[in-house]
Amino acid sequence: MATLTVYSAPGAAVPTTGFWTRARKAGLAFLVIGVLAAGIFGPLARQHKSARFTFTQTITGAHVDIPAQPGAIAFGLLCAIAGAILLAWGRAARMLVLLISLALVFLVLSFLCWQVASGRNSTVLPLGDLSNSTVKAALPLVFGALGGVLCERSGVINVAIEGQLLTGAFAGALFGTIFSSSWAGLIAAALGGVFISALLAVLAIRYLVDQVVLGVVLNLFALGFTGFVFTQLMAQHQDKYNFAPVFPSWQVPGLSRIPILGPAFFQGNFFVYLAIALVVLVHVGLFQTKWGLRTRAVGEHPTAADTVGIKVYRIRYRNVLLAGVIAGIGGAYLTIGDVGNFNANQTSGRGFIALAALIFGRWSPFGATLAALLFGFSTALAQVLSVIGSPIPQEFLSMLPYVATIVAVAGLVGRVRAPAADGKPYLKG
Amino acid sequence: MWKEIVLRPARGMRLVSVLAVGGLVLAAAGCGKPPAKNNANGAPSASGKPTHGCMVTDTGGINDRSFNSSAWKGMQAAASKNSNIKVDFTQSASEADYQPNLNNFVSQKCDLIVAIGGLMGDATKASAQANPNQKYAIVDDNLPLANVFSIQFDTAQAGYLAGYLAAGYSKSKTVATYGGIKIPPVTIFMDGFVDGVAHYNQVKNAHVKVLGWDKAAQNGSFTNDFSDQNKGRSLSDAFVAQGADVIMPVAGGAGLGTAAAAQQANGKYSVIWVDQDGCVSAAQYCSVFLSTVVKNVADATQAAVAETSAGTLQGGTGSIGTLANNGVQLAPYHDFDSKVPAELKTEVDKLKQDIISGAIKVTSPAQPMPPAVGSGTASVAPSASAVPSSSGSAVPSPSAS
Repeated sequence: MATLTVYSAPGAAVPTTGFWTRARKAGLAFLVIGVLAAGIFGPLARQHKSARFTFTQTITGAHVDIPAQPGAIAFGLLCAIAGAILLAWGRAARMLVLLISLALVFLVLSFLCWQVASGRNSTVLPLGDLSNSTVKAALPLVFGALGGVLCERSGVINVAIEGQLLTGAFAGALFGTIFSSSWAGLIAAALGGVFISALLAVLAIRYLVDQVVLGVVLNLFALGFTGFVFTQLMAQHQDKYNFAPVFPSWQVPGLSRIPILGPAFFQGNFFVYLAIALVVLVHVGLFQTKWGLRTRAVGEHPTAADTVGIKVYRIRYRNVLLAGVIAGIGGAYLTIGDVGNFNANQTSGRGFIALAALIFGRWSPFGATLAALLFGFSTALAQVLSVIGSPIPQEFLSMLPYVATIVAVAGLVGRVRAPAADGKPYLKG
Repeated sequence: MWKEIVLRPARGMRLVSVLAVGGLVLAAAGCGKPPAKNNANGAPSASGKPTHGCMVTDTGGINDRSFNSSAWKGMQAAASKNSNIKVDFTQSASEADYQPNLNNFVSQKCDLIVAIGGLMGDATKASAQANPNQKYAIVDDNLPLANVFSIQFDTAQAGYLAGYLAAGYSKSKTVATYGGIKIPPVTIFMDGFVDGVAHYNQVKNAHVKVLGWDKAAQNGSFTNDFSDQNKGRSLSDAFVAQGADVIMPVAGGAGLGTAAAAQQANGKYSVIWVDQDGCVSAAQYCSVFLSTVVKNVADATQAAVAETSAGTLQGGTGSIGTLANNGVQLAPYHDFDSKVPAELKTEVDKLKQDIISGAIKVTSPAQPMPPAVGSGTASVAPSASAVPSSSGSAVPSPSAS
């Protein structure tokens, strides 16, 4: 299997052949789901009037009202039509992504027409707030996944993202409070991430330890260590050690007024802008620079890279440490970028979701970011639906982000290929 | 050279095991030793028999600034009053730790094992059935077993006051509440809160909306844990987007996210804290706490340990904290004292009297039932010095905290 796929682009989906291409499969799925949505959400929305969507962060301001039942049916059918086009057309091309996205958007809108209109407390959904919450939920995942990209593209599996995030969050809060400066916290967080990364690098690259086992152990270590200091020190003297200043939000004049997306992307704090910059930077770096080419070479075929004079170990060490910087800063978002204090196990598994986003995003910075945003969106959506008083039991709503991730990974992405030398220690011989 | 490379993975695994053990030991150490504050208040008297009180926290941890830390305070208070009592605790990192933690204390021959939280109900039940001679107390659950003392709280009563207060204080006429996990000890706060708002709407002919909890459908907003502050924060952002200006998080540590966000919003909205007076347990956020729905876990655990020492603790019975016995109450307004209208304060006080007298009945599907085993009367001694009470279910007055 490995010999067959070596020539496909790294991280790309394994192409399927025959009549049932990926486009046709997705098309059929959306056709069925769209018709089902129209047939189920429509009747369910019957006794409700209309759903209001505001473009602001509150329930007042510019808005559209969509009548519940016609809206649910129309958007469901639009989703089915997009599916039908995919099915008839059947080729993978640039249009594929567009059509799949459209079908997804229509599906969500059909669902929302029913849900928002049937809200017990409110029939208004503030889209500005939804996009803002989406970005906030996605931010730590984006940082974590970028850290993963750097590691795994150079051939080191990074299961320790959770530990890096946690250590970053911890160090950010602790040192941010001690120096009463969020910038000091940020530097400490980066160093904290590097600390976990250094352990990962030395043990994986020099001592050839199984990298998955190593990642799990490092997560355990980070949890124990931060938990210990938290209980013994931070929790007992909260105002001295656990009350860090939070980065203020910076508004981009003009752009922050863009309806819906403005508040999310151009009214955030330092971390939002850093994340955007890093995604672009890592993408360009990975695919356009000498460093990127060498990184990918080392991740695909270290022996070949070595024979042309690339220093495999140096590249791997450098990338793993850099990943620690990024993931550490991502963890700091949770404390000095959001609530200002640390809590034991604050990351609550976000590192593992970042790992899923990395794979779902096919080891590419933009892909991982989209995956993180999808997860963030479903988290934010579940939350806002519970707030407006959706008739769906909250147990099901809180499953939504995970179900969405599983469906996306299993259904839409298909088979993906990791960098060929991912997780394989290199022995210069 | 080659030999060196062959040996590397073995050396590596040795280092990894050091890390793994280190992590586990630290995690355990974080849980291990209590901050040594025993015997702090002057000279404790020694009375009763030597007693070892052992507490198992739930996953919120000993420093959750909420009911675990409150319960531990009560244990410590018992120890500081009586030098014959010594107390210990252990933390549960996950629900899988409940059983081993309880069993560990059984083998340490503790005189009383205090299990904190309804989530520990099943584990405590199993442990109590397996060790009929071991005494247990459980907070927030009702276990009809002859060796278990059930400490429960009718928090809906104090939640009712909080709901009324929130409705009266809200300017946007929208208030909100959310929970950590959907379990009765959490939802009982929310039931009371919703009913309190409804009562306000009824007597004032107002239309204050409650977001986050539907009492009839028993469905609402939850963070699904008690530690994820960022989730708590984003939930409260969603409430604020819908216009809420008073929020009551019943989510332990996760609720701190709401407090932090309210502080960053510079008084745009206020927070009603739960379990322990927020201005004491999370003092750095005191400026945003309108009040607190207090659940006097501390007094109840203190009494349970003290009575174990005095030999008066009766398994199979229990206590229910109510407004009448100060087991639950509404905390002082602190920074909001000048902002809450005097008229509203009077109404809240009046409401409290009405609930105590029974003129107003607060109901909730999560309301505690007296344990149905043993003598049948749920009675507890009312003070830390363990004088047996004569009648009624009672939690001691909060003088000792």
